[in-house]
Amino acid sequence: MPRKISRTILLTALFVVSAISCFGQSTTGTVTMSATVSKFVEINSGGAVTLTGNSGGGVTTDGVANSPLAVSINLGELGPSNTNSFVTAQVPLKLRSNAAYVLSMTATVTSSGTTASRIVASDVGFGLGTVSRTGLGVNAGADTNATSGDPTLAANGSVNGTTGRYEFTAVRSNLSAFSSATTALSGPIIMNAVPRSNANGLTVPAFFAVKPQFFENGTSTISVTFTVTAP
Amino acid sequence: MRLRHFTFSLLAALILIAAVQTISAQALDISSGGQATITGAVGGSVTGSASVLNDLIVTIDFGEVSPLNTNSIVKVVVPIALRSNQPYQVSVTVSGLINGNVQALQASDIGFGLQNIRKLGGAGQDCNQSTHIIRSPFSNDPALNATIGGSGRVTYPSSLANISGSTIILSGPELSKNNSIKRQNSDGYVFDAVFALTPQFFAAGVSSATLIFTISPGPNVPC
Repeated sequence: MPRKISRTILLTALFVVSAISCFGQSTTGTVTMSATVSKFVEINSGGAVTLTGNSGGGVTTDGVANSPLAVSINLGELGPSNTNSFVTAQVPLKLRSNAAYVLSMTATVTSSGTTASRIVASDVGFGLGTVSRTGLGVNAGADTNATSGDPTLAANGSVNGTTGRYEFTAVRSNLSAFSSATTALSGPIIMNAVPRSNANGLTVPAFFAVKPQFFENGTSTISVTFTVTAP
Repeated sequence: MRLRHFTFSLLAALILIAAVQTISAQALDISSGGQATITGAVGGSVTGSASVLNDLIVTIDFGEVSPLNTNSIVKVVVPIALRSNQPYQVSVTVSGLINGNVQALQASDIGFGLQNIRKLGGAGQDCNQSTHIIRSPFSNDPALNATIGGSGRVTYPSSLANISGSTIILSGPELSKNNSIKRQNSDGYVFDAVFALTPQFFAAGVSSATLIFTISPGPNVPC
């Protein structure tokens, strides 16, 4: 009998301990957290377009800094009646990224003319100017400009001694080099860890130039698309 | 025969003593304080029990915090319940957030503050001689007090960078009226742990961290 009592006491005690354990109180708690930062790149307008040397024409849709790039320009008269040496449009671009970037470009040129004297892609000079990385939150870095810069520079073009046509001859100095997506600029991470509300970034002017010549009369449309990626 | 009785009795006594000690040791308790919430997230989430009877096990996914997230800030509020029959303190440790690239997410990029200490379920110990003290610099809502630092990066009054080792964030007098040995829906206190993360041009990658909150006997303040 005493043995049974002892066993009963022992079992009761075990139940008590088990019950207490089931109450599940704790002196510690855990909060686990994670966050993802994906590669991010963007291209926007770097500001207003500058059009020079034009006869007629004008900027139809201007660039607005930090807004999507959607510029429309009428270059005006490109025949010999325009006596300026070049019609030049300077389009400011602004790039931002949290990773290394590549800026590529594709261009198409269509003309109503039908002869070899119509305006074609090689008649439209192109180049990227000086790259600027300035302002709070912009990472210092060396960019690679794959173009030859301002196409109107003497070093970037000349009159063809055989045909007499003015040609943009330097590396990637005219739109014929961009019939398919082709790199124009590349570089390391642009922005330090700052919020998107920080409006700074990398700015670079894109130059487009046409030398007024005895082109076949008609109208031409030049369409250029810039794309920035983070490979 | 007598030896056997003695052995049983001794075992029973030891188990009862252990039980009593267990009851005493569990006079401090930390648990979920309710449903955690998240706002401003893109692809983020927060999971954890909404029941104050369950352990504090919360998983926060801030989601995308690059500029792809155009919200001004990602804010997470985690209610944490406390119970005690003695003065207490709450400490926290953080581990796992190590990024060698200074442009990647750092501990200082996650704002961390405490807010809104209140009674659990409307009931808790009323102490007139001592108050519950949120230790400096954690008494703030980091989502409401984020500012741009000199480098252009967002800063907070307090962040995970203010946690060094086991850091005391809260202390005070006893929290519970009843000396219950089990969790109840009331009779304690709850505070909100607030986390804030502003999407920025961080270097790409995935970051994670683990925080462990611990309640322990605190400074012997009167109730």
